[in-house]
Amino acid sequence: MISEVLRAQPILIDGAPDGIRALRSHWEAGETFAYIPAKSPVSSSWVARCLSYLPEEYRNGHFCLLTSGSTGTPKLVVGRKERSERLSTVLHQVQQSEPVQETIVSLPLTYCYAFVNQWLWSHVMGRRLIATPGFGQPDVVLGALQNAVDAMLCLVGPQAALLEQMFGEKSFPGIIRLHFAGSRFPQERIPLLRKMFPNATIFNNYGCAEAMPRLTLRAADDGDDARDIGLPLPGVQLKSSESGDLLFLSDYRCVAQIDAAGFRAIADEEWVPSGDLAQQRDDSHWQLLGRRGEVFKRYGEKIAVPQILATVNEHWKGQVAYYRDEDGAGEDGYVLVLCPIPAEDDVRLLLRALRTSHPRSHWPLRIESTASLPLLANGKVNGLALRDIEGKSLHWRQRI
Amino acid sequence: MTNVEKLKDLVVEVFLIDPSEFHLDLRREQVETWDSLGVVSLAVGVEETFGCHFTQEEALGLKSVGDVITVLEHHGISFREV
Repeated sequence: MISEVLRAQPILIDGAPDGIRALRSHWEAGETFAYIPAKSPVSSSWVARCLSYLPEEYRNGHFCLLTSGSTGTPKLVVGRKERSERLSTVLHQVQQSEPVQETIVSLPLTYCYAFVNQWLWSHVMGRRLIATPGFGQPDVVLGALQNAVDAMLCLVGPQAALLEQMFGEKSFPGIIRLHFAGSRFPQERIPLLRKMFPNATIFNNYGCAEAMPRLTLRAADDGDDARDIGLPLPGVQLKSSESGDLLFLSDYRCVAQIDAAGFRAIADEEWVPSGDLAQQRDDSHWQLLGRRGEVFKRYGEKIAVPQILATVNEHWKGQVAYYRDEDGAGEDGYVLVLCPIPAEDDVRLLLRALRTSHPRSHWPLRIESTASLPLLANGKVNGLALRDIEGKSLHWRQRI
Repeated sequence: MTNVEKLKDLVVEVFLIDPSEFHLDLRREQVETWDSLGVVSLAVGVEETFGCHFTQEEALGLKSVGDVITVLEHHGISFREV
């Protein structure tokens, strides 16, 4: 019967009543399901159509998460349950998580990192999952942090600044593992984080949705460069292509992708780009050089925005984001967006640092600021919305 | 705001120098950021600030703040307060 062949795969919506229990039961059931954010850039019918592309052999034993991030095209990444369970066990070992009794969730569980690092880990290891609505309701997060007992907290980089702003003078001894992933590691905030989380081991995690999600791990103590992502996890191989793209093979990665164009399986021997540029250092650690698209040429000079952001972060203690733009001559460039709105002296200091450390072609086209940065549901800055923020202030511009 | 003050603000902004570094005898070789893109930025800035369009030749001939003033005066912008 056609209706059996095209039977609908379950779609779970994050935040639905009894959502965690439903997630657990769908994980235990054989049927492949999709787990989608409550606020999603795509409709349920788009997801259902994508799921309808699943070949028969993928209709059991898998799960699908939505990814689009700040760059663009939505797609479902298809993970194999058995692989991801194996990854949670590996993570438990390499992160020395045996003493951890609970994990506090402040990110949407539909986000691959939170899904595997927190929900699946708690499910496989039988640890408590403390769900919070995230930093939109800081009092709830604060309560969870204050009541934490031998807990793991998983954050994305920009949340370090939020933590500092909201709870910077508090201390949370119940957190014993603190993980960052998903964007630049907040290396410069480590001293403060150590005060706030005196008993925590802090880790820089690196990965991507296609990796489902983890590729490397570095303890914060094991380096002082935000771009240092450490060593590959057991079962992961990394290499950089001639053009500098970071490619990976992994025992845990997604097995397929689905988007409006259809289903595409990923062969085990296929090297998959992470979307970042990276190189391996002499000490074997991998070092990020920027996102594909974050490195570009301007007036013949190669610009790596993350290197410039490193300078900015040395002199600006607020948040910083950027978006790509062109100057009047049609040359590629980028615009810095600071948050919160800086004092005039702060901007002057920043400009002086840019002048000292970088040639003019590396300087931003403009320096703008805003009272708050637009964030995606997963806590990352919404790069696509930066350009159109209303009420931005302009502090400086290149007159080109 | 006098024209000198306007020009000072522009030069400070374009070359990212400290306001205290500005003086009317400031020359290109004293400012490491006075590079080719800087010249373009300065010319655009002059047009935006003083409503005066520099020819390419004029723009490329700018080697000092004094040169900028000379060309602007040639275009009828007065710096008599100098």
